[in-house]
Amino acid sequence: MTVSTTLTAIPDVQRIRGLEMPWNRVFQSTPEPAGAARALWPWYPQEFLAECVETVPEAGDMLTIVLRRIDGAPLAFRSGQYLNIAFPVDGPDAEPVNRSYSISSAPTQPWTFAITVKREEGGRVSQWVHENVRPGMVLDMLGPVGAFHLPDMDRRARYLFLAAGAGVTPLMSMIRTIHSLPGRADVVMLYHGAEPGAFAFSRELEHLASVDSRIKVYYSLGDRSVTGTWQGMVGRLTAQMIDEVVPDANGRQVYACGPEGYLDVATDFLSKVGVDDTSIHMESFSGSRATRLEYRDEVAFAGEIAEEIAAAQDEAHEPEPVTAALDLYQIAAGTEAKADDGTAEHYETGDVLAAEPTASAETPAEPSSFETVGQGSLNMSFLRSGLNVRIDPGEEILAAAKQAGIRIGANCQEGMCGSCKIVKLSGDVDMHHQGGIRAREIEAGKFLPCCSTAQTDLVLDA
Amino acid sequence: MAQAVKTKTSSRGKVSPARSEDQFAAVRTLFENRRAGYSLDAPFYTDPEVFAADMKGIFGQHWLFAASLAEIPEPGDYVTIDYGPYSLIILRTDEGVNALHNVCRHRGARVLTEPAGTTGNLVCGYHSWTYDAEGSLIHASSPGEINFDKACFSLKRAHSRVVAGLVFVCLAAEPPADFDEVSKIFEPYVAPHEIANAKVAFQQELIEEGNWKLVMENNRECYHCDGHPELACSLFPTWGLTEELVPPHLEDAWQRNVTAETALQERCNRYGLPYEVVEELDTRIAGIRISREPLDGAGESFSATGRRLSKKLLGDLRDFRLGRCSMHLQPNCWFHLLSDHVITFAAFPINEHQTLVRTTWLVADDAVEGVDYDLESLTYTWKQTNVQDKNFVEMCQQGAASPAYEPGPYMKSEYQVEAFINWYTQRMQEHLG
Repeated sequence: MTVSTTLTAIPDVQRIRGLEMPWNRVFQSTPEPAGAARALWPWYPQEFLAECVETVPEAGDMLTIVLRRIDGAPLAFRSGQYLNIAFPVDGPDAEPVNRSYSISSAPTQPWTFAITVKREEGGRVSQWVHENVRPGMVLDMLGPVGAFHLPDMDRRARYLFLAAGAGVTPLMSMIRTIHSLPGRADVVMLYHGAEPGAFAFSRELEHLASVDSRIKVYYSLGDRSVTGTWQGMVGRLTAQMIDEVVPDANGRQVYACGPEGYLDVATDFLSKVGVDDTSIHMESFSGSRATRLEYRDEVAFAGEIAEEIAAAQDEAHEPEPVTAALDLYQIAAGTEAKADDGTAEHYETGDVLAAEPTASAETPAEPSSFETVGQGSLNMSFLRSGLNVRIDPGEEILAAAKQAGIRIGANCQEGMCGSCKIVKLSGDVDMHHQGGIRAREIEAGKFLPCCSTAQTDLVLDA
Repeated sequence: MAQAVKTKTSSRGKVSPARSEDQFAAVRTLFENRRAGYSLDAPFYTDPEVFAADMKGIFGQHWLFAASLAEIPEPGDYVTIDYGPYSLIILRTDEGVNALHNVCRHRGARVLTEPAGTTGNLVCGYHSWTYDAEGSLIHASSPGEINFDKACFSLKRAHSRVVAGLVFVCLAAEPPADFDEVSKIFEPYVAPHEIANAKVAFQQELIEEGNWKLVMENNRECYHCDGHPELACSLFPTWGLTEELVPPHLEDAWQRNVTAETALQERCNRYGLPYEVVEELDTRIAGIRISREPLDGAGESFSATGRRLSKKLLGDLRDFRLGRCSMHLQPNCWFHLLSDHVITFAAFPINEHQTLVRTTWLVADDAVEGVDYDLESLTYTWKQTNVQDKNFVEMCQQGAASPAYEPGPYMKSEYQVEAFINWYTQRMQEHLG
């Protein structure tokens, strides 16, 4: 049988003005955070477990990991946000390693979600992810968080997406989101890669650009020396390239994601073509100060919401409809049970995360016999180092410890990465972390000395 | 006829219905004796009789700018405006805009006394005569009243038209027909800025101690722009010059202007925005000048650097670098339309020596003060410029009141002033017959 098709002119698509995220009206009608969170729970940063259901190798040595929450609930997030995931890189009994990955899927398809991980040369975690994450594996997640996301409502919805290499991930989420929504939009993506085969999602991007008149995608090779056939542009990002691809960049909101050097030159070129710096949104995962502050705000906001929800539930005495629905999921999943007091959650699945090590019992010697260094009204006893360090209230613990020669690994030093995590055997600290530590870890006596001050004398396992 | 004496008393409402034929003839003679290319004789600026004639011949006969839809965004919203002795209610209705004379049909009281507000029916504060949005009298009860036909006492209506979000009114029984053609000229320039989807960020009212014509004349030339240091940041210092006239010290600026103009025209072509100069200031009844021109610096807005003053583009505009679309309509308004905001200017004559100038800054309705724009920065340039212009107008008014005043010549760069005066003279002569 022969099927013949005739090409006929397709009339223009009629669309409502601008873009509006599906949750926007609910969100706007409930101004208090708890109301919004109840309407769209779970919305704000929180901990949950997710199971890998699919892994998809992508061009550019990237791997997409499709996940679903093990409680069966959808994951609400904003397009462009990321998750902080604990990977049991050193085995189930060792401390997992936290890494942040942008969600590459669209929040308009919330029942599963995906991250896309590039295998980095010498990258301990990314290598491990590529080799070990398989369908069925359960991972511990924190999030979603991040200020780099599409607005909930945008009457203009005119965007320029600048992607370099693995930086395409959050922008892919944005493009998928826009494609899945009605509304007038105008998206141009300029996607830089090192070599012709390195453009992840390129088939899907070409498909989206061919079926959705709102989306245009341009590719450029950063490296001019590449041989072989290549139909896209060649050359690193320049102001001229931006101007050629989007002569109206000046009137667009720009979302850019890529390595820090790329983002630096992008900022420069964007200002040359007249883009106002308030119209530029960037994501680099370099832990820029702005990102960290945003992260801290969101974590604080999450705490506020949790309190409000708890208060609202106390008042109501009846489960909220949404909560009830989630209870159904929990029963069905049979993997987690909500604590009766409605405040803490206890996960029963112990196959990924090691049971939290209890506060160390190995006490080498009596702190009273340690040498004491430093000045201050309080005493910190470092058991493994065998040293007492004096500290004043309000003084940062990590700094004081380092000055005394105590060896504590520390990376971001802003409470985000969790690399300085140690166990506190006694005493109280005042901690202002930014998501680098989980509630269960804190319950188990851990804390981040980089963002903590001493409130009493301390005994520490370090 | 009255002597050219400036008085402090208002002459509002003094359009004498029983003006003598002598006075009428005297005014007509003034027009006949007008010397082309020269400023007007003193009585045009100082004489209550001429002012009364202006109100009838210009403001009573032509299409006038009243307000923008942004000032009356919802049905029931109104503004009250005065043109000399006339007072109008500009009322937003479910269907559009109605212009009603603000004169109660009972004993003539002002029906609405606030400058702006929201109302259902229109209730006169004196005896509660109540009119609906169309002006029909719907309530006028009084004990013992019988055979009172309310239908005979509707509020008088003026003609009103909304073009690209701008509300125009005409007090004449038969409005001039060429406004239709002029609407078609300016609508494509103005409509993309979507004034109906804008909001009032700020409104300024200045009472200038000057005749309304001096207000309009001053606005029609930039010969005096040395007196506008804030505005000068945005306007090219070569504004109004032609290539042959550029002095050596301005050659760089001229080149900058040429480059900016070419780039602006490319952008306009790309976005389908008209930019050509249309100049019919005195060759038609609804005199107009409109064009889109580049601004200096970043070319976006009236700021010292030329950068945007509001972060939200108006309407569906795609680019912030759209310079300024400037429109001047005879007899009482001018406009600057930019990508990020619009400024409307309207002159409302009060008497022969006072004019209310209302300046309204409009931004996109989703622009948030303090987030997307800073009100002080948004309004700075034109607040300064308006006060400077007020001083210039008042200097001229004082001069016109002096026995030593005599008309002086307009310079080449003031040809638009001459065009305005020529338009005015023609229109008045036609009116006076």
